[in-house]
Amino acid sequence: MKTRAYFAKMRGATRGSPPRVGHAEIFWSWVGGFVGISAVSWANLASIQRYDLTLMVGSFGASAVLLYGAVRSPLAQPRNLIGGHVLSAVVGVTCRKLMHHAPWLAGAMAVATAIAIMHATRTLHPPGGATALIAVIGSPQIHDLGFFYVLVPVTLGSLILLAVALVVNNLPKSRRYPEVWL
Amino acid sequence: MTDRQQRPLEEVSSEPHEMELSDEDILAAMASISGYLDITTEDFRALYHLAHQRAVARMFAHIRADRLMRWGVDPLAPDLPLDEAARLLVRGGIMAVPVADADGRVLGMLTEADFFRRLHVDSFLELILRLLEDPSGFTHRFHETTVREAMTSPAVTVPEDASFREIAAAFHQHEGRATPVVDGARRLRGLLLRRDFIGACKLPSAI
Repeated sequence: MKTRAYFAKMRGATRGSPPRVGHAEIFWSWVGGFVGISAVSWANLASIQRYDLTLMVGSFGASAVLLYGAVRSPLAQPRNLIGGHVLSAVVGVTCRKLMHHAPWLAGAMAVATAIAIMHATRTLHPPGGATALIAVIGSPQIHDLGFFYVLVPVTLGSLILLAVALVVNNLPKSRRYPEVWL
Repeated sequence: MTDRQQRPLEEVSSEPHEMELSDEDILAAMASISGYLDITTEDFRALYHLAHQRAVARMFAHIRADRLMRWGVDPLAPDLPLDEAARLLVRGGIMAVPVADADGRVLGMLTEADFFRRLHVDSFLELILRLLEDPSGFTHRFHETTVREAMTSPAVTVPEDASFREIAAAFHQHEGRATPVVDGARRLRGLLLRRDFIGACKLPSAI
C-alpha cells in the first residue's frame, strides 16, 4: 500500500498549471531580459578591456527569467537575488578549494550546500545553484579569481540585474518590483 | 426529544460553511491578475483553507458559553403542574426554560413546543384554528400533568467553556431557542439563547 501511494504521488496532484500570461506581460518580460543582459554584457566588455575581469556568468540568464519573467515570485525578490548568488558563490569557491582533487564531489557538494544555505537564510534563488556549480566547473580564469569571484562577477553582476529590474519592472502599470526588499 | 427536533449526527456540522474552490475558479482568478504567479492551484487551495480556518478561529475566539449566557434563570421543578409552568414561561418572556432537580441538575427543557406536542398541534396558528373549529372538544388538563411528563429530556447542554464549535453543534442538534449551560456536575449555570449566540457571531448579512 505504501509503495502504491509512493508511485501514485508521481501522477501529480494538481490539475492545471498557471495560465498563460497576457501579451503585454510577455513584451515586458522580453524587454527586461534584453535590457538586463545587455547591461551586464556591456559592463562585461568594459571590465574585460580595462581590468581583464569578466562580469558575465551563465547563471545570470536564469536570474533574468525570474527577475523579468516572474516579477512577483518570492524567488525573484532582491534578498533572494543578491543573497542567493553571494552565498552560493562563497559555497562554490570553498568547495572548489577544498575538493579540487575530486571535481564530481566538489560540484555536488557546492550545489547541495548552496541549496541548503539558501533555504536556511531565506534567500532561495535557483540560479544560485548554477553560480555555485560554475565556481567548481568554470574556466581556469574563474578558478584563478578565488574568492574574488564572489565580488566580481557575482555580486556586481547581480546588482546590475537588480538595478535594471527596478527601472524596467516599474515602468508598466501592471508591474511592481520588488514585492519585498529583505 | 421529538423526531422533528433530532437530526442524524452526520448532518451536524459545527464548522462555518467553507467553500471548495475548483481549479477553474483559481485559474480564472490567476488569469485576472497580470503577471506570472509562481504558484500551483493546489498550493493556493491549501493556503486558502489554512488561512480560512485561522481567520474563522480568530473571528469566533471571543465566543464562550459563559460569556453569552443569561444569568439568574430560575429552573422549573420537575413536579410543578404544567399550567403553573406555562404561566411562569409567559411571565418570564422566555419560551424555553430548563427543568432542574433540587440540586440544580438539569433534567430537561420545557419549551413552547412541548405544550404544542401535548395538544397535538405543530404551531400556534394550528392551535387557534383547532379552537375556532371545535372549542368544546378541547379539554386538555394541564393542571393534572407535571413538568417532568411534558419536558424534552435529556436536554442538549453545553459546558461553561463551550467554544463556537460546541455551541453551534448544540444548536444544530435541537431546534429550541435556548440551551442550558451547565457545570461539570450538570448543574445549571445559565441559559444560552440562540439569538444571543447568533448576535455574538456578528455574521455579515450577505454571504
